[in-house]
Amino acid sequence: MNSAIIDLSLWDLVTVYSLLLMSVGLAHLLRAGQSRDLFWSGLRMFVQLMVIGYVLHLVFALESALPVLLILVVMTGFAVQTIGARVEIKMPNFYRVVGAAMLFGCGGMTFFFCTLVIGLEPWYDPRYLIPLAGMVIGNSMTGASLAAERLAAEFRERTEEIETALCLGSSVKLAAEPAVSSAFRAALIPSVNAMAAMGLVFLPGMMTGQILSGTEPLIAVKYQIAIMCVITGSVALTTFMILRFGYRSYFTPYQSLRED
Amino acid sequence: MTSRELLLAQEVTASRPGDDGVPERVLQKTTLGVASGEILSVVGPSGSGKSTLLRLFNRLLEPDSGQITLSGMDIRTFPPSVLRAQIPLVTQKPYLFAGTVKDNLLASARLRRVAPPDLQSPDIKKLTEMCRVEQSWLERDARKLSVGQQQRICLMRALLGPCRALLLDEPTSALDRQTAAQMAQTFRLLANEKDLAIILVTHDLQIAELCADRVALMVGGSVIETGPAAQVLHDPEVDAARQFLLAEPAVNDDGAV
Repeated sequence: MNSAIIDLSLWDLVTVYSLLLMSVGLAHLLRAGQSRDLFWSGLRMFVQLMVIGYVLHLVFALESALPVLLILVVMTGFAVQTIGARVEIKMPNFYRVVGAAMLFGCGGMTFFFCTLVIGLEPWYDPRYLIPLAGMVIGNSMTGASLAAERLAAEFRERTEEIETALCLGSSVKLAAEPAVSSAFRAALIPSVNAMAAMGLVFLPGMMTGQILSGTEPLIAVKYQIAIMCVITGSVALTTFMILRFGYRSYFTPYQSLRED
Repeated sequence: MTSRELLLAQEVTASRPGDDGVPERVLQKTTLGVASGEILSVVGPSGSGKSTLLRLFNRLLEPDSGQITLSGMDIRTFPPSVLRAQIPLVTQKPYLFAGTVKDNLLASARLRRVAPPDLQSPDIKKLTEMCRVEQSWLERDARKLSVGQQQRICLMRALLGPCRALLLDEPTSALDRQTAAQMAQTFRLLANEKDLAIILVTHDLQIAELCADRVALMVGGSVIETGPAAQVLHDPEVDAARQFLLAEPAVNDDGAV
């Protein structure tokens, strides 16, 4: 058995893309109207990942902190923009609040893990920092979007409840509490489910990748456990900060529910 | 208007977002007040601005211009939560929090973060009787009671705070005739015994007749006539008021429409 990973040739990639073409064919057969989407996203994936591959290749070779940080900032920026696209009612200073929460939550957790736990040397080692931060940012983005969406839905559904509470002399914070806790729960559900099913239903991507590239399975498992804790921590912290500032946007300055 | 009014709106103008999102004026320079112990009933066709006016009094909405005072003090000088506990609003459709009747009655204290009142104290027992809330309901699931019973609990829940005035938005429209008439009696009793100022918005002229001291008739965002209940409901001075009364089910004495 060879412990080094087997490279894929261009021909190998062409072979697997035939599977995508098969999917396009099936979609066409069922008139799902998805053939174009499938084809173009397949192509986009190829281009985007190839570009990223070359960028990472370059960054690894440069051995300098600046390009690594730049990549992390760009990733966070894209994540914040994705959250913005999903959230209908945006709080005042939406991008500043979400940006700060993502930077603080993801950045804090990643730094905690890489520096205090793994003890990276140098601290910016891109081979660790970029993929780990990517997972943390990606999951926090999903969590934050879920929380913001859930918050909007809760405020729609709980209008009567919140207004009744306000009419009884409640502060906006207390009136919004049920909506905020429900949104927080929604954001953490994927983390809870993923942790509970891990190893039984699926082998997580990072672990799979590590094992494929020759890492001892027990080490891969320990990394997976650690990254799940870091991800959950980051999702919780990011979501908490967004909700903590976000619920206020649903109220007027004179503490009643906004009408729009 | 004299200063005897506990709650007074002076020349208030208000807008609501219209269908296309552009604000629409729904209340024109309206002046209206209510004194302690008095029931003012605001009647008028739907869309006349009655509910908007009501929601201005405890700042669920903010007027474009004009001033609203509580005991002569601009309501904007109170923190909104303090103001609302003094002027609670009871809506058409009763909203009860999940839990027992007791949980709901104690919600006011919980939400204001003060010690819960003793529901067995003589004062509160008297209030329970006035609101026709039964002691045997206390441990029951509040949302499983009838609409009429729920509305009584909403009323009592609102009164368990430092309430000085009560805003009632069509509180009887979900109830049958007899229950609605009993509610009207309750409002009268509360105004008399607890010296509450009550603004009762209703489209039900019989309810207004049953309990109101004064009636204000609103049409198209303005009060077109205001005065003692009997006069406004039976012998209005303004033509438009007469037309509205003719179009409405007759106000009569046997309690049937």
